Amino acid sequence: MSAVVAPPSTSGWATAVLPFVLALVAAGIVLAVAGHNPFDVYRLLAVESFGGTKRIAATLSAATPLILTGLATAVAFRAGAFNVGVEGCVYIGGLAAAYVGFTFVDLPAPVLIPLALAAGFVAGSLWMLVPGVLKARLDVDEVVTTLMLNFIAISFTAYLVNGPLLAPGSANSATPMVVDAARLPRLMPPSTLNIGFLIAMALLALYWLWSNRTALGFETRIAGMNARFASASGINVPSLVIKMMLLSGAIGGLAGAIHALGSVGRFVAGFSPGYGFTGIAVALLGRGTPVGIFLAAILFGALATSGATIQLFSDVPIEIVNILQGMVMIFAVARFGWIFARRRTAA
Amino acid sequence: MALASALGTLGAAAAEKPVALIISQSGLGDQSYNDLAYEGFKRGLEATKLEGRPVESKEVVAQAAEILRRASDADFGLVIDLEYAHGEPMLAVAKDYPDTKYVILNQVREGANIASVLFQEQEGSYLAGTLAALVTTDTSIKGINAEPIIGVIGGTKSAGIDKFIAGFVEGAKAANPTTDVKVAYSNNFADPAIGLQMAKAMFEQGADIVYQIAGGTGMGVIQAAKESGHYAIGVDTDQDGIAPGSVLTSMIKRTDVAVETVIKDYAAGTFAGGKTMSLGLKEGAVGLSEMKHTKDLIPAAILEKVEAAKQGILSGQIKVWNVVEQGYPDYLK
Repeated sequence: MSAVVAPPSTSGWATAVLPFVLALVAAGIVLAVAGHNPFDVYRLLAVESFGGTKRIAATLSAATPLILTGLATAVAFRAGAFNVGVEGCVYIGGLAAAYVGFTFVDLPAPVLIPLALAAGFVAGSLWMLVPGVLKARLDVDEVVTTLMLNFIAISFTAYLVNGPLLAPGSANSATPMVVDAARLPRLMPPSTLNIGFLIAMALLALYWLWSNRTALGFETRIAGMNARFASASGINVPSLVIKMMLLSGAIGGLAGAIHALGSVGRFVAGFSPGYGFTGIAVALLGRGTPVGIFLAAILFGALATSGATIQLFSDVPIEIVNILQGMVMIFAVARFGWIFARRRTAA
Repeated sequence: MALASALGTLGAAAAEKPVALIISQSGLGDQSYNDLAYEGFKRGLEATKLEGRPVESKEVVAQAAEILRRASDADFGLVIDLEYAHGEPMLAVAKDYPDTKYVILNQVREGANIASVLFQEQEGSYLAGTLAALVTTDTSIKGINAEPIIGVIGGTKSAGIDKFIAGFVEGAKAANPTTDVKVAYSNNFADPAIGLQMAKAMFEQGADIVYQIAGGTGMGVIQAAKESGHYAIGVDTDQDGIAPGSVLTSMIKRTDVAVETVIKDYAAGTFAGGKTMSLGLKEGAVGLSEMKHTKDLIPAAILEKVEAAKQGILSGQIKVWNVVEQGYPDYLK
């Protein structure tokens, strides 16, 4: 059964790792031209990412939202919906969770945390309702609708934290801090690594089960690979697309909720440094598989955390790390383009 | 090689531990707050012969505590933080590193090893208000009508912004009690289009000078002044040159002076841990720009009155209302 639908695995690990290696080489050239020794820089990046438990915790902490946004993107991709609106869900979900976290201040943690996480989950899901329905029922291009919804989400939340939800006395656009009971418990204090990471890992495991062991997961994959074939086989593709868009939005909203309750402790303007967009690269580079998403998220998380801290020890500016990150994304997408072209010729 | 040697010197050799400057979200190259602070950082390091590094990250808000802890673990002696959202994380981190010194700007955080830096923006804004109120009725100046109406646009309704606005209104009323100051908020710090529309609306209502305290949105205010032949007042950095002749003056906030001073104090062993540094007109940290493009348009009598107001603040005769410390005055409720 699985042999029929599994993508040809001749390439396997090589093509998954190749984008990263190519990116390292390309960015290494940029580094050398800029007068830095690429090997020194890469060694420093590795040390700042994985050198010791504190640094590993920082990397996992930075990877947590990316696991979730990568997963959110992959879930939609699997159903054939190119959802680029996860970023907006992060904003909406983050604000919803923060609102619960600073409003229901008398609830105990075991009630408040699930409630706040659920608020993010539901808010993110609802945010994807319209593009999901438009895509499924009217065949409206989801890339356009979800991309536009990102701008609306960012502006809408910015309006709310500039006005109705602004913390009294704050000079920047932010909600009040959530109460301590709403903060996600930390795994390795004082690191910000928190149970959000475990939630993300659990969802990855569920995703593996769902995609490999359930009928819905199988149908989704069929619908994503060839919608006409899926319809002909009796699968209700529109309903599937709506479900997966809602699930994608929910996971994106959860990413925002975990970011708000775990890391930031509130919602601020400029809440997400592009987690939703990096999530697209994570999903592509990870080839939509649970292990791949995890590794890709760790990679981008490591670049984010070490990219900041290597500046303490070297003259490498943040732009170089951004270039490296951009290179990985480009090569990840280039691979995807190849698959896309192949699928199109096959269809 | 350079990398390895840098690691070596940062770790041990220096008698004084190095300094880290955490850049705020808008990043270096913003031609404003961060760049200005970085200038002061470089000057401070040069004067004290200390080592130091700026840290930039687009995830600076998300990774607040991790970055602060890393700098502290890496044996930096002084961590100067430009990111406003780092107030709470700094409180938590500073407790764990009693030997590291921290500096936070534009807010007050309690802690024996934390120094807070506040600017007396109301003092500079008072002078801007005085100047605007005197100019707005002088029809000999191009683009000025007889109406005693001026405006101010804040980025958001908050105490931090209203501190500027209250000072501006107070200065204007002191110069001419009949001045009508129109106050509005853009609820946005990054959209010039909003600033343009709001400023144009004010100009249509008879205002001829509009003070902006709205970051990137304020660029639209300056644009509106240029398009309609009226005047804007800039903020934070010397914005007079953005539209020469259309920016009456700028209320400059010398973040660079603050950062430089903090580094020098640290090197001299007089770091103000647990204290709040208040930098105002007297310290040369706030004030009006030199008005390179507009000085010749304005009658000397007006400039003299502004100078008199400045002397009044310096001597303590004029005490400008501080919204953050004193709450809201009656004229701004």
